[in-house]
Amino acid sequence: MPSPFLTPGTHSQLDSLALLHLRRDQTLPAILQHTSATETGYKEGKVTNTRFGSFPHSTLVNKPWGSQIAASKVDTGSRGRRPSKKRKASDLAADSTEVTDSSAPVTAASGYLHLLAPTPELWTASLPHRTQVVYTPDYSYILHRLRARPGSTVIEAGAGSGSFTHASVRAVFSGYPTTEGQTEKRTRRLGKVCSFEFHAQRAERVREEVHQHGLDGLVEVTHRDVYADGFLVGDAKTGTSPKANAVFLDLPAPWLALKHLVRGGEASPLDPSSPVYICTFSPCLEQVERTISELRQMGWLGIEMVEVNNRRIDVNRMRVGLQYEGVRGAVVAPRTVEESVTRMRMLEKRAREFRARQEENNINDEGEAKPSIGEAEKSSQDAEVDAPPLAPESDVPIYRQGRLVHRTELDLKTHTSYLVFAVLPREWTEEDEQRCRAQWPSNRVEERVNPKGKRQLKREAEQKEREEEEERDAQKDAS
Amino acid sequence: MHSYVRPNQHIALRLPSGFTKLAQVVPNTAISLGKFGNFPTNQIIGRPFYVTYDIETPDEKDGSCLRVVSAAELHAESLLTEGKADGEEPDTNPDGTPMRTNRETVDDASTQKLTFEEIETLKKASGGSGRELIAKILDSHSSLDQKTAFSLAKYTLRKRMKFLQRFTVLPLDVSLLTNHLLQERDAARVMELRDESIGLVGCWGNVHHGGNTSLDDVVSGRNGRYLVVDDTGGLMVAAMAERMGILYPHDGEDHEEAETAEQSTATGIAQGAPSSRPPRRTPMSASGNSITLLHTHKQPNLTLLKYFGFNQDNSSETHPLYTNLKTVSWLQLLEPNEDIQYTDEPAIIPDGELALLKTSKRSQYHRKRTRWTRVQSVVNEARAGDFDGLIVATQMDPETVLNHTVPLLKGSASIAVYSPSVESLTELMDLYSAPSKTAYMNRRNELREQRQQESKDDAEDGDDDYPELKDEFPLNPTLLLASALETSRVRSWQVLPGRTHPLMSGRGGAEGYIFHAVRAHPTRKEISAAGNPSRKRRKVAETTSTPTADSSGVDVEMKS
Repeated sequence: MPSPFLTPGTHSQLDSLALLHLRRDQTLPAILQHTSATETGYKEGKVTNTRFGSFPHSTLVNKPWGSQIAASKVDTGSRGRRPSKKRKASDLAADSTEVTDSSAPVTAASGYLHLLAPTPELWTASLPHRTQVVYTPDYSYILHRLRARPGSTVIEAGAGSGSFTHASVRAVFSGYPTTEGQTEKRTRRLGKVCSFEFHAQRAERVREEVHQHGLDGLVEVTHRDVYADGFLVGDAKTGTSPKANAVFLDLPAPWLALKHLVRGGEASPLDPSSPVYICTFSPCLEQVERTISELRQMGWLGIEMVEVNNRRIDVNRMRVGLQYEGVRGAVVAPRTVEESVTRMRMLEKRAREFRARQEENNINDEGEAKPSIGEAEKSSQDAEVDAPPLAPESDVPIYRQGRLVHRTELDLKTHTSYLVFAVLPREWTEEDEQRCRAQWPSNRVEERVNPKGKRQLKREAEQKEREEEEERDAQKDAS
Repeated sequence: MHSYVRPNQHIALRLPSGFTKLAQVVPNTAISLGKFGNFPTNQIIGRPFYVTYDIETPDEKDGSCLRVVSAAELHAESLLTEGKADGEEPDTNPDGTPMRTNRETVDDASTQKLTFEEIETLKKASGGSGRELIAKILDSHSSLDQKTAFSLAKYTLRKRMKFLQRFTVLPLDVSLLTNHLLQERDAARVMELRDESIGLVGCWGNVHHGGNTSLDDVVSGRNGRYLVVDDTGGLMVAAMAERMGILYPHDGEDHEEAETAEQSTATGIAQGAPSSRPPRRTPMSASGNSITLLHTHKQPNLTLLKYFGFNQDNSSETHPLYTNLKTVSWLQLLEPNEDIQYTDEPAIIPDGELALLKTSKRSQYHRKRTRWTRVQSVVNEARAGDFDGLIVATQMDPETVLNHTVPLLKGSASIAVYSPSVESLTELMDLYSAPSKTAYMNRRNELREQRQQESKDDAEDGDDDYPELKDEFPLNPTLLLASALETSRVRSWQVLPGRTHPLMSGRGGAEGYIFHAVRAHPTRKEISAAGNPSRKRRKVAETTSTPTADSSGVDVEMKS
């Protein structure tokens, strides 16, 4: 089965992962199935319920990726009222027969989602957290620096929640392994991820996910304590070397695992024919210092420690102005000095008039107070007359009014982890050196001839052609 | 995989000064490193990468002048200080006060006893790749003993950066090239693209190898076709190609070395090789795992690809990009009938006539024919769309680019747009914001109703092509989902026992922002949103029925 992560095709497939996108940062992963083993009782078969409505999977299967799908009317109530949640085997059998004639879902009045093909980024945002997750800003940089490219093999220790696993398998993917017999000779190395996890349950969960996501043969999950037992695939002692080109250690004590990542012999998990890149991912400075000290002693080169600062940015329109009375999120205050002055002038004028009127009244008949309500009404009418034009930008639609501003999003990850990078060159023996010297004599330096330009090459080609033609003509004449 | 230095490949050399020099390893020539010496290329060809060499006086027997510097030697200093830090603090007196400070140091040039001329003559005389010279300079420093351990280390480092004849051979890949261009060349030419931005764009754009076996093609159609708009001189294309495994000349090759032993069974390899290697390959012919580049001028600018062995004008047929990089100009994409290369089909000459022509004329005819068929197929293919992803790094207004390219994408395809500054991307975010989407849909529904009223007999609601809508909205905001804007910056640290801190200085310049989103297929039908029906939302529902466009616009605002 092709993986929806790597080759999603054009439509969603049955028994394959799809991501149900509700809104930004709210995506539900779902394996599309007609019937569900754990949740039965819906007339429509398997249903995913969200806060934006219920979605029977029959409405999701075999739809073009990216489609907008309307919610369906699903009777969620009667199912919930069932007396016991645990049912006997006989009941289950009855259910499944009932489900087979699942009725066609009826579209609900409102609610929708978008059906998306999974990518490591969306998966990272929606996966069930088991441990701290390596997020996109970190893994994008790590994989780039690790030179994890199609055809390489990556060792990942501390599979955790599987976010890095998915990202790295995408990076190294260069084709599915052929399953039907080993008759076809493998000429190209296929990219692979060897994932190690010391927590049995988590390892099992990752293995399940790998299978569900169609990554069998591309990701190899091993339950192993790598500090003690190293990185060989299969048995810890007699297993085969993964021949890794890159190593990612997300472990509490990466320095303890380094002793297994050395060159030499069959037991080395590293690729003998290429440099090996390593990255360790540790939140504390003390861990980094110990790791780097160990890396230096083990002969790793180009040791560098960095941290990635990532910020997500909110963009919105800031609306300031007196005309935005009642508009949500807008600041109702003068936008310009002129607006402020106009308003104040208007208020002053009104106050003056009010006082003048009051004085007049006082003079006219002292003691008889005028009803203040009427006065207020009058002044408000005045205000409307005197107010500056309410919507100076009225020809611009409201969604384009105001100033476009951006700011860092409120939830800010100020520190994820420190990344330590290093590289281990391939081994180079005296024999290798001598072989190279024989092939490329050390002291041969020739005068470098300027490379011929395109025009010169063309001229030469024409010359040659002419000569050939002449020759042919000469032959023709001869015959 | 970069397992050894290949002849004629481009490599990078890290110099003691910290700079990198790019060079092509032409066999039987010499590479000059300026004041850091020079050496014959033959002495690094075939050797592994990441090895550091000292340039020494040539060996009398075979003339080799490079000495490999071991890792232990490179780390000697830090290993030494680490050893010290483990034991008792050497830099403090028993009472805890620091042993040496810079309290007594006098700012005076006279501390160095060697004159400039003396150093110059020493430089010429002494061998040993400058180590002797540095030792002499340190010896003749009169107040060396007054220096603290840190300042001594700094002083030695400075002298080393200046006099040591040492270099490290590095594989020239996208990451290194990016850093080199950014730090040491004209960064503006590559839109100040930083390494971390490249990684982020690649991930958010979901750029990866499209799978290779023919089985997959049958199962799920052509995979891994990416559309790119690149104003960075080919750096973005190179970054994508690297992620897709088609950048390096040896990318298509078998796993080298392991196979060399089996080369004798050449027939086996020929049969086993992927079928994409026919004897003669036509350019831009790949069906999957390909990059389609949209360019603004008649010719694309891909100069930076020369570092990866790909020359746009006369490239070697064996380079993977020869078949997998397709170039289409904006004119060809949008108005192909205006483009001469696309429209003017060279007249077919019958075979009999062709045989009588001169060789040059014949080859010219063939060249023209192939070019025409190539342009036809590449342009038609691009116009047909169904791309798996879109990557944009352009000086143009991004909304005009997205307006024309987003409709060419498959559903659920990823889009990533890079910009050195934030302004153009905030505009993009605004065009795809929720209020814009709602306003667009309201306006479209209005227009649709109008049209239906005008032509009541037309039961089927025709295509959603409303010119009025295009006037008001520069692009269709409903085609993208989950649009977001982010920026990343990497901060480097110095890690030494007791002296760990972030580096004191770095490169400023453009921050580099990335807009990313996912292509959606909105339904033609109207579906209203559901969920947390608040008081506000109900208000919206009521007012949308009122016909005035303005009021609904206001309510849209209130909803969000």
